[in-house]
Amino acid sequence: MGLQENFRKDTVRQLNLREAVTVSPTVTVRGAVEKMQSAKVGCVIVVDDDGQAVGVYNEAMLRNQLSGSRDFLDHAVSEHMATKFPWTLLTDSVETVLDAMQVNNTRFVVVLDENKKVVGLTGQKGLMEYVAEHFPQEVMVQYVGNRIQNSAREGA
Amino acid sequence: MSGISGNNDFQDPLEDYSPPTFDDPIEKKLHEDRAAAIQSAPFTAVPANMLVADVLKQMIGEDIACVLVEEDGKLVGVFSDRDVLNKVALDFESASTRPVRDLMTPEPVFVRDTDPAAAMLTVVAVSGHRHVPILDGNDKILGIASPRRIADYLTACFG
Repeated sequence: MGLQENFRKDTVRQLNLREAVTVSPTVTVRGAVEKMQSAKVGCVIVVDDDGQAVGVYNEAMLRNQLSGSRDFLDHAVSEHMATKFPWTLLTDSVETVLDAMQVNNTRFVVVLDENKKVVGLTGQKGLMEYVAEHFPQEVMVQYVGNRIQNSAREGA
Repeated sequence: MSGISGNNDFQDPLEDYSPPTFDDPIEKKLHEDRAAAIQSAPFTAVPANMLVADVLKQMIGEDIACVLVEEDGKLVGVFSDRDVLNKVALDFESASTRPVRDLMTPEPVFVRDTDPAAAMLTVVAVSGHRHVPILDGNDKILGIASPRRIADYLTACFG
């Protein structure tokens, strides 16, 4: 099967999911930032005691909040998180990830299991890895600037 | 006998120089479209000596996650939300007064406008960079492909 058909038939389970980095709602924004730094991701998922996702906090929110007082860093992340966020089930098609990214103008999509528990994170990189598997020649010979890979990734 | 060893089993993995063929219309399109088919403008470029505080103000004002950093008309780096997260957020007073060249991600991975669109996507997949600058053959900056722009392009491809 080709990319077009696979895209609609393959499920999110077949993407390379990133480990979900989670924090409790009471963690400070500073604590969430430190966790994002150490995990090298641009987004944390805020979960309640039952493991249910109740919000997300990401680096774009952080950037915009830096325009004012830095007091927010010591507030609970629940005060600043987004409570509406894109999510998909492991059993949904890969196509739903692209739809979720485009509709919500985000590159992060939270992946949930059938019990709505958080199992991972996907988005732009996971989707591009999936597409790139169909282009082994591009991966082998692509011209990517003056070095192959930066020591620190920009993307999550 | 010539050569560096007596083993003649070596095969050049790139020895097949015939153009690839695709049965799938999307794969064909991604191979035939050039990177320039992905929206890359407008974009914001800042001089390397601009203070981080001013760059951040510009990013917030324009609601953009990444700016290109140039020096003498050439791309020398990118400064993105990831740099803000890792180098500015928890050290704002000190970091904000430094020139962006000190905190940018130098030597960014880029593609040429004449590269296949698929090359752009593989840069994201392989390097993890989500913002990919596009340059022409003379190293002139043409723009930057953002996650939104790449998602829009893919959505149009899949129709």
